[in-house]
Amino acid sequence: MTPLLELSNVRAGYGHSLVLQDISMSLHEGEIVCLLGANGAGKTTTTRVISGLLAAGSGEVRFAGNNIAAVPAHRRVDLGICLAPEGRQVFPNFTVHQNLLIGSYSKTARQRRAEKFEQVYGLFPRLAERRAQKAGLMSGGEQQMLAIGRALMGCPRVLILDEPSLGLAPKIIIDVYETVAAIAKLGLSILFVEQNVQAALMIAHRGYVIANGRIAASGTTAELQSTSLVQEAFLGTKTGTGRAPPGPARLSAH
Amino acid sequence: MNMRYVSVSLWVAGLLLALLTPVFGSPTMVDITFRTCSLVVLAVSWNLMASAGLISLGHSAFFGLGGYAAILATNSAGTPFWLSLLGSLVAGAILGLGLALITGKMRGIYFAITTLAVSEGLRVIAVMLPDLTGGAKGAYLAPDNFPGAFTVNMAMGIAAVGTCLIAWAISRSRYHFAFRAMRANEGASQMLGIYPLKYRAAITAISGSVASLAGAVEVWHGGYIDPALAFDLHITITSQIAPILGGIYTLSGPVLGAVATTLIGDATRIGLGHIEGASLLVFGLILVGCVLYLPQGIRGGIAQFLDRRSKRSASTPMPADAGQR
Amino acid sequence: MDLIPQAFSDAVLLAGLYTLMAVGLSLGFGVVRIINFAHGEMIMLGAYGAFWLFTLFGVDPLISLPALIVVGYVVGWLLFKGFIAKVLDAPHINQILLTFGLGLAIQHIAIILWTGNARSATPVYATSSFLIGDVLVVHGRLVAFAVAVVMVAALIAWLRWSETGLATRAVAENRAAATLMGVDVRRIYALSFGVSCALGVATGVVVSFILTITPFMGFPMLVKAIAIVILGGLGSIPGTVIGALVLAFAETFASYYLPEGSGWAEGIAFVLIIGILILRPRGILGEAVET
Repeated sequence: MTPLLELSNVRAGYGHSLVLQDISMSLHEGEIVCLLGANGAGKTTTTRVISGLLAAGSGEVRFAGNNIAAVPAHRRVDLGICLAPEGRQVFPNFTVHQNLLIGSYSKTARQRRAEKFEQVYGLFPRLAERRAQKAGLMSGGEQQMLAIGRALMGCPRVLILDEPSLGLAPKIIIDVYETVAAIAKLGLSILFVEQNVQAALMIAHRGYVIANGRIAASGTTAELQSTSLVQEAFLGTKTGTGRAPPGPARLSAH
Repeated sequence: MNMRYVSVSLWVAGLLLALLTPVFGSPTMVDITFRTCSLVVLAVSWNLMASAGLISLGHSAFFGLGGYAAILATNSAGTPFWLSLLGSLVAGAILGLGLALITGKMRGIYFAITTLAVSEGLRVIAVMLPDLTGGAKGAYLAPDNFPGAFTVNMAMGIAAVGTCLIAWAISRSRYHFAFRAMRANEGASQMLGIYPLKYRAAITAISGSVASLAGAVEVWHGGYIDPALAFDLHITITSQIAPILGGIYTLSGPVLGAVATTLIGDATRIGLGHIEGASLLVFGLILVGCVLYLPQGIRGGIAQFLDRRSKRSASTPMPADAGQR
Repeated sequence: MDLIPQAFSDAVLLAGLYTLMAVGLSLGFGVVRIINFAHGEMIMLGAYGAFWLFTLFGVDPLISLPALIVVGYVVGWLLFKGFIAKVLDAPHINQILLTFGLGLAIQHIAIILWTGNARSATPVYATSSFLIGDVLVVHGRLVAFAVAVVMVAALIAWLRWSETGLATRAVAENRAAATLMGVDVRRIYALSFGVSCALGVATGVVVSFILTITPFMGFPMLVKAIAIVILGGLGSIPGTVIGALVLAFAETFASYYLPEGSGWAEGIAFVLIIGILILRPRGILGEAVET
């Protein structure tokens, strides 16, 4: 079966610095795949390439079998590629409701707006309570919920979450991941980026480890947990780029 | 042929033209040279600010202020010619300094807006203080101290040469690198507030004072000033078009541009003079055209052309910066 | 006689006009992040459009307003596609000089076409007036105020409740995030620039029966609009209204109470710009500036 989303030999970067050296990965219908890696490894750049915010220098990005290199970012939402970006990026002066409304701006999503509102407010009762609140005034956890909800409003076939746990308290991280698990039950394909290995491996089916712009390891959750590849990639022992590895506390946090 | 010699000899030729035309030139030549030198001063002055990432949309403010400073000093206190020029230099420096301090660490767009407002504001002030400035009716220079047309023409030539020397000295100093950094960092570092105010203030003071000097000499040349003439949009426009047309951020660009702008201005006046507004329309189109299609100006265009030709003839490749001086 | 009620009424009516004058500039800057130094020329073109339609065909400026707004939108859209779009990623200086050059060219095309002579459209209501107590209200000013209120209210409603308006605000707040919502940022840019110019033209139509029309009228109005916009915060409509009120009140009261006040009033925009920059209320200036 053709994967829903497939990257092959993607290279990309900003100006003269090539961030992604060689990325190949895939995501099948109904799968939950996590993308692990240290700070600066190229995880966010990968999500930017998939969502079209950044053009791939070479290689292919295929969605449902079609090369989407020529599809501009705003059209990819119509295809069903929806990203909740790193750092949440909610519209601070919009109300919660307006944020969700603009989330379903694309043509396909607009027709199913009522249904989507029901779904998102069902998944996130907190957002329903605060629908008239300005997004900028909410807590980090609430903004993350909003960012995920907003991406859901776009009727995703692939939901991409870029570091949903970033900057959140541990208790809130658990909340967020419980919600992601609940969303997964709806049958969506989910690709999410994490630095927090424990949280990621809890809910993912498969995972990839990015180090220094390349896929350093991949496999099922169990495989990744049992090998030392994850640790190696994170500590940068294979690449030795000198980039700050995450503190040991993160790896040993059970 | 060594490009360095070509550019040096061009500079020398320019210098001789500026300083010898008042002595030997025909009246038409003297007139054209005077106006070109005036524009050289303004263009180099504008370019100095631009080099530091500061876009002036109101260079007439300095020009007009200098003119009024000179005429006030002479008419009210009998200040002699050369001293009145000094007065206008000081006035321009103060205005430039004030601008730098007011706009402080803010980024270029505020500077542009402020200069625009300052030139409008000064015009209103000049109209509204008739006791001091003669108001809208303008003021005539008291003829007692008039040093003669030759001296005035000569003064403008010296001003042009001096301004170029100042620009050259600055390009040789560490200021040059500070400015380059200031331009490059417009987006990123200014937000952090690391705008070197010292450099900014120095450059606006220098640039402002020479632009004022041009205004002062022009007043001695014309013998008359009024708010519309002093703070004319035309001044603002030609002082920015000349460097852009010639080649922004370079030494020779503003000079080349001043010559070209003066000639284009004269040509349109002769050719299209019967159509009111045609010459400024041409300038507007030049501005738009340069920004879109010739961002390095004539100078960049020539460098590019020579570069391509030298590559074709497989001679020694020439760096694009050759001929800078 | 107490002049305060009269000055107050004049100032409020003027503030309406000023809001309309500045709101387009503010919208263009807030969304496209470019200050359109040709905005004053849009006002001038609107004034001439209304004047010629009135003088040649007897069309009342209020009747020609909708059509001229459409024309203004199209002109703005074309200016964006033809020129502005090419410098979106260019250094600031290029953007500033480009719009400045465009303004210059438009202004002088107007001089060539219509000479520098001063004109004005004179529908009946331009000069007729009525009294409320001691306060004299010129119909033309009242009409201008009403048009301004309707237009600004329509703009606010559009930004708040329409799909495209919401997308426009989203682009103003966060370009990348808006793209991720499926918003075509370039299309929104072109559209906002068009709307911005349409608002400029609308201002001109209204001004045509209040002030004298010359090809040079745009520049001082641009300076005033800029003063209002940076006073209220770039890209903020409520801020623009406040800025317009401040400028209108300052100008009106100056012209009533200072000797030769009406001359000095013309310089108040300049004083405000300098004043704001000296006081540096970064909070009011807003984040939109720091791209």
